[in-house]
Parts: sequence; structure tokens; C-alpha cells
Amino acid sequence: MSEAAMAVVKPEMKSYIWVQTVDGSLQQVEEEVAMFCPMICQERLQTGMGSSKNYAISLPQRVNPAIFGLILDYCRFHQAPGRSNKERKTFDEKFIRMDTKKLCELTSAADSLQLKPLVDLTSRALARIIEGKTPEEIREAFHLPDDLTEEEKLEPLRNMTDDPRIRLLNRLYARKRKELKERQKLKNVVVEEERVDDRSVDDLLSFINSVDGDTKGTKTSKNKKKNRRRKDHIKDPSSINTNENFNKGLNALPPLCHNGVANNVSEASTSNHLRMQNLATVSFSSKHEFVDGGDDDDLDPAMKEELDREVEDFARRLNSDWPERMQEILSLGQERRLVPISVNGNCSTQIYTGLDRR
Amino acid sequence: MGDFWGPDLISDLPQSIIESILVRLPIRDAVRTSIFSSKWRYKWNSITKIVVDEKCVPPSNDRTINEKSLLKFVNQLLFLHQGPIHKFQITNSDLQSCPEIDQWILFLSRNDLKELVLELGEGEWFRIPSCLFNCQKLIRLELFRCELEPPLTFKGFMCLKTLILHQVLISPEAIETLISSCPLLESLSLSYFDSLALTIHAPKLRSLYLEGEFRDLCLEDTPLLVDISVAMYMTDDIAEHFEQSSSCNFTRFLGGVPNLERLAGHIYFTKYLSIGNDPGKLPVTYRNLETVELYQVSFEDMKEILVVLRLITSSPNLKELQISGSSNIPTATDAPDLDFWSKECPSDCTLKQLKVVKLTDMCGVPHEMELIKFLLANSPVLETMSIVPCMYVMESQLKMLIELVRFRRASARAEIVFVRD
Repeated sequence: MSEAAMAVVKPEMKSYIWVQTVDGSLQQVEEEVAMFCPMICQERLQTGMGSSKNYAISLPQRVNPAIFGLILDYCRFHQAPGRSNKERKTFDEKFIRMDTKKLCELTSAADSLQLKPLVDLTSRALARIIEGKTPEEIREAFHLPDDLTEEEKLEPLRNMTDDPRIRLLNRLYARKRKELKERQKLKNVVVEEERVDDRSVDDLLSFINSVDGDTKGTKTSKNKKKNRRRKDHIKDPSSINTNENFNKGLNALPPLCHNGVANNVSEASTSNHLRMQNLATVSFSSKHEFVDGGDDDDLDPAMKEELDREVEDFARRLNSDWPERMQEILSLGQERRLVPISVNGNCSTQIYTGLDRR
Repeated sequence: MGDFWGPDLISDLPQSIIESILVRLPIRDAVRTSIFSSKWRYKWNSITKIVVDEKCVPPSNDRTINEKSLLKFVNQLLFLHQGPIHKFQITNSDLQSCPEIDQWILFLSRNDLKELVLELGEGEWFRIPSCLFNCQKLIRLELFRCELEPPLTFKGFMCLKTLILHQVLISPEAIETLISSCPLLESLSLSYFDSLALTIHAPKLRSLYLEGEFRDLCLEDTPLLVDISVAMYMTDDIAEHFEQSSSCNFTRFLGGVPNLERLAGHIYFTKYLSIGNDPGKLPVTYRNLETVELYQVSFEDMKEILVVLRLITSSPNLKELQISGSSNIPTATDAPDLDFWSKECPSDCTLKQLKVVKLTDMCGVPHEMELIKFLLANSPVLETMSIVPCMYVMESQLKMLIELVRFRRASARAEIVFVRD
């Protein structure tokens, strides 16, 4: 590659400067070619380095010898005066044909040498590679790990699945999958404390959907609960919002009364009053209860907020359905013995006997 | 996920390079990069250039569906975006004036907007909200089919370099004030204005493009102007108005542009310049004027011919000349004033640099032939003169050719190319 530059008609004294690449190897390069790189030029002019082997200019870490050779080829062509624009373009198009790995290294090296025209050229080439390819092809081309959950892969700008219920479902799926993964890792660790809310919610859900009027204790197998919950969700997505409301009520209680709470609150579920209160105060706190199971998926706050706001809106929309729902639930809870209970905490609800209080 | 392929090639490049790559992708692909891997999730978030065009949303035949999905797309895009947005462009014919666009502009005005291009569909013209005038960093503004009304307190865009208004509803005073209040304006393009009387004060202006019906054009303070292109339409009442005017349009328009390098005039431009008193020998010499294109010159109007002559003789370094005629095929009864040429030409009018001449729509009118004669006699370095006749009848073409052949040529290298379809 060097014949072009070295083919001097008269044996002139070309000046050379010494550069050292990150692996320690030294080489001499023609001064006028190397000075085409702003970083080398600056280094030379400001510190005077490069005049001898001992004072070689150290190239940035991202420039390895092979890539530096390519960069020199580029500089050698472009620094020569008298080239037409067409010639330069043709050279560029040919120059840029290399495998993706080299292209990325070249971009990185050109950037560290501040060689902007080459950075633009390589960026354009990389953009051309990315454009129009499927994500799998891109991951293969650039060796990217496929480490996003299905839920995270939901394009934030998808037009199709608007429905917040389906989005919520997907989020739950993702969370469940993550949890299952963790279960496998931490088989022996009991994580009950974290899952307090979930189980209670499960209970309530099962109650509401009258799958199993059983409000037994919370030590049932989690998997069973989870499966049921999933099934319940598929059956009746609107119950998700019911969860929220109850959740809110629940979390106002100290975790210690967990066991007792399940029973009480399930009975409390028949109360209009509690529900009305919860409805009225469905607000930001519902987000935390429902969303944070302790370790949450790392959603960007903005996206989280967006989805949560949709859930909230949806909840409010559902408010109009409550009268009907209430009737349904009330009819289920007829046999229950109602126990007055006061709930501490934000909502300070009073649960009364008597079903007709609104 | 194991990286069994080897190390990640691209995710760890500096953000400036990633931005450089993402900016070269269509916006939809740029956003799609968020699902490549966890590191790529929010890399697209800070791109500074957003171009919303026809490819942004999957197309459907129903315009309202397209519009709805576009609105949704841009809303979500802006909502998820972080950081400054320097360039925002909408070029989509499905999108029409709607309140969401107002909100977008408000959002952009708070995010260091530097370039705005708004080209909506053909419907109701979008009324630009006043928040646009708060974008003090604006460098380029390009509007199509909008209504623009600068607020009274508006002091101008201090950084604006390019202003392009195409079919924009704006009052004449407002447009003049807008132009003169942008001190750095370099490029101005106004098209499809009706009956506009325009005086331009733009000390840094270098490039001017005008198209429409102009009642009056005056370049009052444009010393740096280098490139002018005007397509002038004329309605009957404008033509009447002109007949009564006595001020010399030529000097009013071209009197203050000594650095002119390129001039192109279409439709009634030459006629416009011809109105008013004859300036005589022009006070200005256009030393840098290298390319002159005048279309639809009527060679039956002595005043228009005079304009052409004055222009040519004041441009010693003219390299390329293109003229198209718009005359009718001559009848035998025309008795032209052929002394005109010897009278009006300055004694020394050698066009020392003229290399290429292109004459189209030539009808063989006497003055056209005189022009050709003049050019051939005074261009010592002429290389090509191509003539495209406007008539198809063999006889008339022959007549023209016979005359042409007689003309003396100052340049031995001159080739005359007579183009026949």
C-alpha cells in the first residue's frame, strides 16, 4: 500500500515521525500523512513529540496497529492535493468495504484520532448496515446480547396493542418469568416477606372470581397461586384493577397481621364502603403497591409512569362499572359473617355490616 | 444470554459516534434500536435530529388513519425523548393542521430548537403558534402552507441564517420586518406570494430566491448578495401598475449587488427589469457575475432587449449565458430598429470570458438574430453556442440558418450547434 506514496521521482528526504501504538510497538510514518490526523498534529505541534524513537507519539488506546494502517491509507489518499471530488468519493466507497468488526474498530479509532471525515464515512456505513435489518440480524452482526425481557422489547412506540390491560398482562408475564428464574437460583431462601402482597391479592382474586371461596391461610404453594392468578387474569382482566384497590387497603396494614388480614379483608371485600373509599383514593400509591414487588424490572421512570398512568385511567374508567360489579360480589358474599374491622393507615376505612350503605 | 459470538462490537462506542450513526437512520429505525439489547434501550433517546416523513408509520389508504398513527407516533416519541432537539422536520402530506402540532412546537421551543421544517398536507393552513418566536437559537426555518404572524414584541431571530417561506400567509409589513430583524440572514427564499411589494434589508444575505407575483422589488441593503433567482408572475393589475411607474426597476433591484455571481430570471423578470427609465450605462460593474440565465425574454420589446444588453455589457467576466425567447414567429411587415445595436453598444464590449451560450425558443425574430450576431462578434473565447429553434417548419429554420452562417465569429474555436428535435 505504500508504493503510491513512496514512488518519488526524485529521492527526496521525506520527514517521518515516530508513533507508538497501545501494544508498545513503534513505527515510523510519513509526517505529512500522519499530520492529517488532528490528534497527531496537535500532539506534534504542542509537545514536539515524535521526532525520535524515544519520544514517539503515543496513539490512543483504541488504535491498534492494523487499524492504524488502514487509517494511514485513508490519510495518504486524502491529504494528497489535486484529487477531484469524484475520485475521493470512489476511494471512500471502496475503502469502506470491510467486515463489521473492522468497521467498528475503525470508527472508534478514527474518533479517538479526531479524524472527523473518516468518522462520518464510517458512521454512514454503519447506519447503512443497521437500516432495514431485523433485530436478530443486527444482534448477529454486532454480537449484541439478547438480554431484554419480552416485555421490555415491546417497542415503546408500537401502534397496535394500545390496550393497557394487555400491556399490564405482558408486564406481569415478564415479572413472573423473572421471579421464576430467581426461584430457581434461590431455592432454599424463603421469600415470603417480599411476596406478602401477592398472596393476599391472589386470595382476593380467587374469592372475587368465585373460583374457590376458600380464604385459607397464606402458606399455600406459591406456584399454584401464581398459576391461578394467571388464569384469573386471562379470564377477567378487569379484575386487575380490583386488585389495586384491595392492595391499597392491604398495604396500609402492618405486615405482621398478614395471616389474619387475608381473612378479614376478604370479608371486607364485601363492603361497599371500603370499596368506595378505595375508589376515591385510587391514586399514586396504587402504583407502588401493585408495581413494586420489591425488586422491580428496571423500567425507565418515564415509561413506568406512562404505563401506570394508563392503568390509573383505566381504573377510573372502570368506576362506572362498579355498581354492577358490586351487585355481583354482594350476591356472592351473602353467606359470609361480617366482622367489623377498622383499617389503619391512609385510607382509614371503616367496614360496616350491612350491605346497603353507599 | 452468553456472547458466544465474541465481544460486543458496537455498544461501547462513545455516545457521539452512536448519535452520528442514529442520526443517519430513518427515525423509525433509530427508535427500533431500543430493542437490540439492554445497553441500546435508551441510546436513541438523545438524538438531536428528528425527521417525520412518509415512512414513519405503516401506510394505509385512509388518510385519517395515517394521521392518527402519526400523531401518536410523534407524541410518544417526544414524550420519551430526552435532551435537546436541534432539528425537527415534518414532511408528510397526511398530516394536517391540528392542535397537537402546537404542542410539539411548544415542546421544541423549550429544547433548543435550531432547525424547523414544517411541510404539512394540503388542507387548512397551519397557524404557527407564538411560541415559535421564542426559539432564539433558530438557525433555519422552512415553512410550507402556514400562517405566520409575529407578535408585536418580536425582536427577530438573532441566529437565523436560512428562511424559506413557501405559500405562507403573512402580512407584507411583517415579512419585511422579519427579514430585516434577522441580522445573520444568509439565504432567503419566498415563493407564492400574492402582489407583494418587497424591500429587502439584509446586510449578510448571500442567496435570494423569489417566486410569485411581486408588485415591487427593491434590494436596498444587500451588498453581499451572490446568487439571485427570480420567477416573476404578473397579473393584469400589476402590469397596469407598472405602466404608470417611472422609477427604474433595474437599478432598484440590481443596483446594489456588485458581488453578484449568478443571476437567473424567469417568466416576467426581464419585463419587470425593463420598466422604468433607462439607466444608461450602469454605474455598477458586475465583476464576479459568471452565469446569467434569462428566460422568456421578449425580443419584440426594445426595452427588454436593452436590459439584456446592459446586463451583458456590465459583466466583463461572464462565462455562461442562457437566454430563452418568447416571441412570435416574425411576419414580413416587422420593421425593426436595427440601429439600436450600434447605438447602444459601448465601444468596447468584448466578452473576454464568455465560453458557453445557450439560446432556446428562438423564433428568428430580427433582434434575436442581432443578438446572436453581437455575441459571436464579441466573444473571443467562445466554445459552444447552441441554438434551439422554436419552430418546426423546415422553411423557417432554413431561413434562420442562412442568416447565421454569415455572422462573423471572433472565436476560431466556436461551435454553433443547431438543435433540431
